[in-house]
Amino acid sequence: MAKRTDIPFFQDPSRLFLPWISMLMIFIASLTLAGGLTAYRSLSYWNKNVSGSITVQIPVVDEQGKSRSEDVQSDIEKALTILRTNPGVLGARVLENNQMRRLMTPWLGEHADIETLPLPQVIDVTIDTQSPPNIQELNTELIQQVPFAILDSHRVWLDSLIIMADGLMKLTVFILLLLMITTAFTVSYSARTSLTMHKQVISLVHMMGANDGYIAWQYAIRILKLTLIGGFLGLILSIPVIFGVAYFFKTIAGDFNCCIDSILLATLIGTPFVFALLAFLSTLKTVLTSLKRMI
Amino acid sequence: MLNETKLSASVAEFNGVSLRYETGPEVLKDIQFTLQPGSFHFMTGESGAGKSSLLRMLYLDLLPTRGRVRLFGHAVDSLSRTAKARLRRQIGVVFQDFRLLDHLTAFDNVALPLRIAGVRENEIRRHVSEMLAWVGLEKQMKILPPQLSGGEKQRVAIARAVINRPRILLADEPTGNVDDTMAKRLLHLFLELNKLGTTVVIATHNQPLIKHFGFPQLHLDHGHLQLIQPTNKYADMASKLFKRGDNNG
Repeated sequence: MAKRTDIPFFQDPSRLFLPWISMLMIFIASLTLAGGLTAYRSLSYWNKNVSGSITVQIPVVDEQGKSRSEDVQSDIEKALTILRTNPGVLGARVLENNQMRRLMTPWLGEHADIETLPLPQVIDVTIDTQSPPNIQELNTELIQQVPFAILDSHRVWLDSLIIMADGLMKLTVFILLLLMITTAFTVSYSARTSLTMHKQVISLVHMMGANDGYIAWQYAIRILKLTLIGGFLGLILSIPVIFGVAYFFKTIAGDFNCCIDSILLATLIGTPFVFALLAFLSTLKTVLTSLKRMI
Repeated sequence: MLNETKLSASVAEFNGVSLRYETGPEVLKDIQFTLQPGSFHFMTGESGAGKSSLLRMLYLDLLPTRGRVRLFGHAVDSLSRTAKARLRRQIGVVFQDFRLLDHLTAFDNVALPLRIAGVRENEIRRHVSEMLAWVGLEKQMKILPPQLSGGEKQRVAIARAVINRPRILLADEPTGNVDDTMAKRLLHLFLELNKLGTTVVIATHNQPLIKHFGFPQLHLDHGHLQLIQPTNKYADMASKLFKRGDNNG
């Protein structure tokens, strides 16, 4: 004969709304986590790749738009000499046309004739990240000898990106905390409502010698099941959305680091378990506390 | 007021116990008695005399507003919640309104005290099946209480109260909804338990049954307790019943 729960949970309205709420929470949590993790990892990727290099641009036209083609080669050589003699620089090389074409593809398309465009010559400089050069001093030296040279350490835009990504991470943590607090409050409220609803049954079970833990365990297991069911539904719904967004970003920015890998998937799969565990513990605490006041 | 010989290992000991609900008048006044292990008492009195309140104190549902109650040697007012739960597992209660769980089958209702006590499921199946067969409900095992008659519900309630061999059995009008034959049969079940050492207190208005079995009465009158000893004739009958040890009504 199958054992049924002592408390008639099938009468509780929460059996219907808890899985839905849990589904919504996990759906939002999964999207937030995917976005936050992608932002964090993109930032790390950019930071790692950009902080080890700077670029120097030698324009092929002056401020009036007149060609400086006869001076460009000597400017490049002067700049290369300055850069290569700096102890903080590991190497410096001029980007070739095919590399430039690849860089410009997102803006100009694959078949643009970049040779006919007044694009600056770009020197890619690899710096020693352990003892980097003083960018300020290097820039001053370059401008003194090559007045048209433009040194770009990428720091300006990277710093802005770091601020933005940092904000995104904080927002992710804030949203996740908010979702967790909401989940805890929802299950706690649902448990208290159920306790009031089944007060007579609980009193009877108590009278037969059930301790608070026996009753709290039944509640916690039930909430665990409901939140897990809802949570996995939410996860299943979120996966196509995450794939869709990742595909969208891949399309508009080929090197955007938003691929769905095993770490992201493991994190997403773990999310319903974390929320269910939180719901389980909140229920245990709520029921144990309420029973002391109730009976 | 009544005084029985105190034993150190008494089942229940009430000492100057009074009870009032909130700011109302005292419903029980200066109650003093001791229930010895293996004793059998009827509890009598008019409606509203305080029988249910006294039973509620015996199954730890109420604490006295004055005086001291000891159960199985423990002062109940100083017990922790866990200790109270442990004591309650040694108390069997038959409620006047049965208090069966309507969403559980007769089987699961009777199995409840065993499940609470953590008994293994195969043992539960065996014990509960035997118990339900004994009270004549082997065919109603899978039936939900709303589909049972009043008498059947009462037998399920009794089976549930005695399934874990309690040290004390408290029954509030346990024979109110069954015919005389079944009433005597149920009383014999209580006697069987009593012979095994269970202390029994039965609240009832059934005078023929009280006379037939001839056990002492805890009589409540306007909140005061009195012990009424049976006449010799009934006491002899009771002692014969003890000696016979059979279950014939």
